[in-house]
Amino acid sequence: MATPGRTARPRVAVVKFASCDGCQLTLLDLEDQLLEIVSRFDIVEFPEATSRRSPGPYDIVFVEGSVSAPEHIDAIKELRKQARILVTIGACATAGGIQALRNWADHDAFRAAIYEHPEWIESLAMATPVSDHIKVDAELRGCPIDGGQLAELLTSVLVGRRPQIRDEAVCRECKRKGIVCIVVAAGEACMGPVTTSGCNALCPTYARGCYGCFGPRANANAKSWSAGMLKSGRPPEEVWRLFAGFTGYAEPFRTVITELGKAKAKG
Amino acid sequence: MITSPAPSQTAVARQWFLARADLDALIEAIRETGRRVIGPTIRESAIVYDEIQTAADLPAGWRDEQSAGRYRLERRSDDHVFGYTVGPTSWKRFTFPPNLTIATAHRSSFGFEQQVADAPPVAFLGVRACELAALAVQDRVFLGSQFTDEDYRARRAAAFIVAVQCTTCSSTCFCTSMGTGPEVRGGYDIMLTEIEEGFVIQAGSPGGAAIVAKLPTRRPSHAEAGAAVDNVESVRTQMGEPLPMAGIGERLKLQLDHPRWGQVADRCVECGSCTMVCPTCFCTSVVEKSDLDGKTSSTERQWDSCFDVAFAKVAGGDFRARPRDRYRQWLTHKFSTWWDQFESSGCVGCGRCIAWCPVRIDIREELAAIAPPIPPVVHPVAVAPVAASPGTYSVARLASVRAETEDTTTLSLTDLDPAFLAGRPGQFVMVALPAFPAVPISISRFRADHIDLTIRAVGPTSTALVNLHPGAKVGLRGPLGTFWPIEEAYGRHAVVVAGGVGLSPLHGLVDALAANHDRFESVSLFYGSRTPEDQLFRDDLAAWSAGKAIDVAVTVDRAGPEWKGRVGVVTTLFDMISWDCSKVTAFVVGPERMMQSSVQGLISKGVPADRICVSMERHMECGIGLCGHCQMAGRFVCKDGPVFRLDELGDMFNREGI
Repeated sequence: MATPGRTARPRVAVVKFASCDGCQLTLLDLEDQLLEIVSRFDIVEFPEATSRRSPGPYDIVFVEGSVSAPEHIDAIKELRKQARILVTIGACATAGGIQALRNWADHDAFRAAIYEHPEWIESLAMATPVSDHIKVDAELRGCPIDGGQLAELLTSVLVGRRPQIRDEAVCRECKRKGIVCIVVAAGEACMGPVTTSGCNALCPTYARGCYGCFGPRANANAKSWSAGMLKSGRPPEEVWRLFAGFTGYAEPFRTVITELGKAKAKG
Repeated sequence: MITSPAPSQTAVARQWFLARADLDALIEAIRETGRRVIGPTIRESAIVYDEIQTAADLPAGWRDEQSAGRYRLERRSDDHVFGYTVGPTSWKRFTFPPNLTIATAHRSSFGFEQQVADAPPVAFLGVRACELAALAVQDRVFLGSQFTDEDYRARRAAAFIVAVQCTTCSSTCFCTSMGTGPEVRGGYDIMLTEIEEGFVIQAGSPGGAAIVAKLPTRRPSHAEAGAAVDNVESVRTQMGEPLPMAGIGERLKLQLDHPRWGQVADRCVECGSCTMVCPTCFCTSVVEKSDLDGKTSSTERQWDSCFDVAFAKVAGGDFRARPRDRYRQWLTHKFSTWWDQFESSGCVGCGRCIAWCPVRIDIREELAAIAPPIPPVVHPVAVAPVAASPGTYSVARLASVRAETEDTTTLSLTDLDPAFLAGRPGQFVMVALPAFPAVPISISRFRADHIDLTIRAVGPTSTALVNLHPGAKVGLRGPLGTFWPIEEAYGRHAVVVAGGVGLSPLHGLVDALAANHDRFESVSLFYGSRTPEDQLFRDDLAAWSAGKAIDVAVTVDRAGPEWKGRVGVVTTLFDMISWDCSKVTAFVVGPERMMQSSVQGLISKGVPADRICVSMERHMECGIGLCGHCQMAGRFVCKDGPVFRLDELGDMFNREGI
């Protein structure tokens, strides 16, 4: 399969669950490489790009979105059977996404507040990452994912090596880029120290604190970071909101949110 | 290896004055030589190093207010151009770029090509003393050994250095502690010192002299030259007392298991910012970037950090799996193991890692907590004895008598001359009663207004002494002889080995070790006696065992069935020693045979001979080296001893018939 060429092109499917489609679009945004990619991969299933459908099995399945509705559970299990390599893409698929904020709220109350006929809505009380349901071979983080990391993943499949995707703090990208730390120099709130890199420090480059959309680094010391922000005078609600963003349901952010929520309930 | 530009004597000695308004002339003169000028400029609310075109790009009138985890720019009350300290950028960004393509490879031809450094001439404007030291540190790292980084060499050689002496400091600065500043000592082409009206400027290389010659300078007035010196000196004063850095490398190595490593790791978020802003950190990783099918690839080198969770990983696991391991690696490398690798400190005291730590960790506080300065060892001088001459005695009163064993008794004496109370553990007194010959007795205990003498009744005087009743008077001369060098064991494992009545001259030592136990790595007492009934100071042994200051292990040569403890000679207790014996200082007293086997046991465990002290017993009559009885080879045991370091005795220690 590693042999490039039209006849042996890996069959690729891009599918989605509960999500906004932004991560799938990152593939289309790889404009310079797109022709090369389609010449080496057979993209057989990609509703965002084409209405042509094609059943499995697939060599690579990119899964966007969280598991949020009852039918998602069976569908994701079926996809796993059809996929040789299953890659989750984006904050929703890898961490539950912004919709996982309902995991700390009253799901029925949400439905009742929004829909005229909440009884017509079939959704799960919890939005969960795909890896809670099936084995996942690789993850691309972010909201949306980074085109460079997507290209690296595709390259690694063709070359036959592990993708070289680092797990380091966003701070490291800031420093290499020469971005002045907005926490230290401007007192901004930023999730960079506990968030994994990959975005090339996109938000801090524009003098905005990191939103944590790539999710927690391995062994992220979220406890110290939240404690530090509280100590520097940020109200617990603000710290709660910083962690409870795109990837709040991923540990160890989840624990921080739960603890701050408990404190809020007590206080 | 790049060395400082050779200073030409005349160029260095001669100082000039350059008006602040003429700084552009300096920048222009450098640019005319074909160099880009990199200097301080304000960007994103900080002073960073970037390319500058004119003096207008410089941060005139700004200062930086820095503390742990905080950096703010503030207006100065004057228009000084270099009235700030150091910001988030360090010069390594230009000599050791954060991202660098070092090689390319092609699968079609199976070729690897090294990327040759593209290092056009450049000038660094505003290099501080600590930063010059940092460049020198990286010179040693990249160019100082057999294998070199040629990219670094090219970039370093391409840089013309305009140094600036600091005339202000931040709370994060500690160059005076690391011996790197604030004054610039060399390694520059041109040096500037800012004063009220402009700069005192001097050249440090022929290239620098050529530039200075083109500038509209004049000779500085006496006051101007003086102000330049004073402004730099005032920084030293502002920075306050230097940190106690003496021996920090060794101090840290003694503290690899300190609980503080875990505590600081609980705060540390491992973002690695400290290592990125550090001007000497040099770790990198490479990634291979390739086209989709891997036909051509490039090797991209990036600044990496020892705080990275994958930094010390291999296929089978992670060598520094815990955050505390990674924090310890960073701090011990900077201050300790860097010396082993590069014969210098890895820290230059710029304080960037303190200011740019988002969780406000201050390495100065961590160093002080983990490896506090070992208090200077003050070797006490023995107090002058009273009634030194034989035949003259100072009279003391017997306060109490306590039987220790069947033949050994402790006399507690009071109403003493203060000299006896000022004696040191290990010393002895000559004790006399009218009509009895004087005998040497070691002082077993020092109390507020008492000394204890523990006496085994073996001769006429000792028998008479132990039969005295409270209130009786005795004659004393002393304190005499050498004493236990307790201070030499600071920071080490103090091990006391006693046999039988040998515990008597060690009792005062054990008291002193226990009272100061936090100065030692550990304090232990190994005590062997013939039988349980022969043990001295049983109440004290029980109290020491119950306390936390000392570890006590006792053994007896033989015992009845009621004895529940260890049986065997004292050396059998040595199998309990689990420490690094090179860090042991031992104090040994007992019968000579017991001392010999104990010393042999300790040495075979790795205790250095010059870290073992013994107390010798010989016939003594005068106690002051006049009567000749106690000679042991070239030593008088009474006045050169009785406490000896083993290396003082050499092979006399084990020799019979000496």
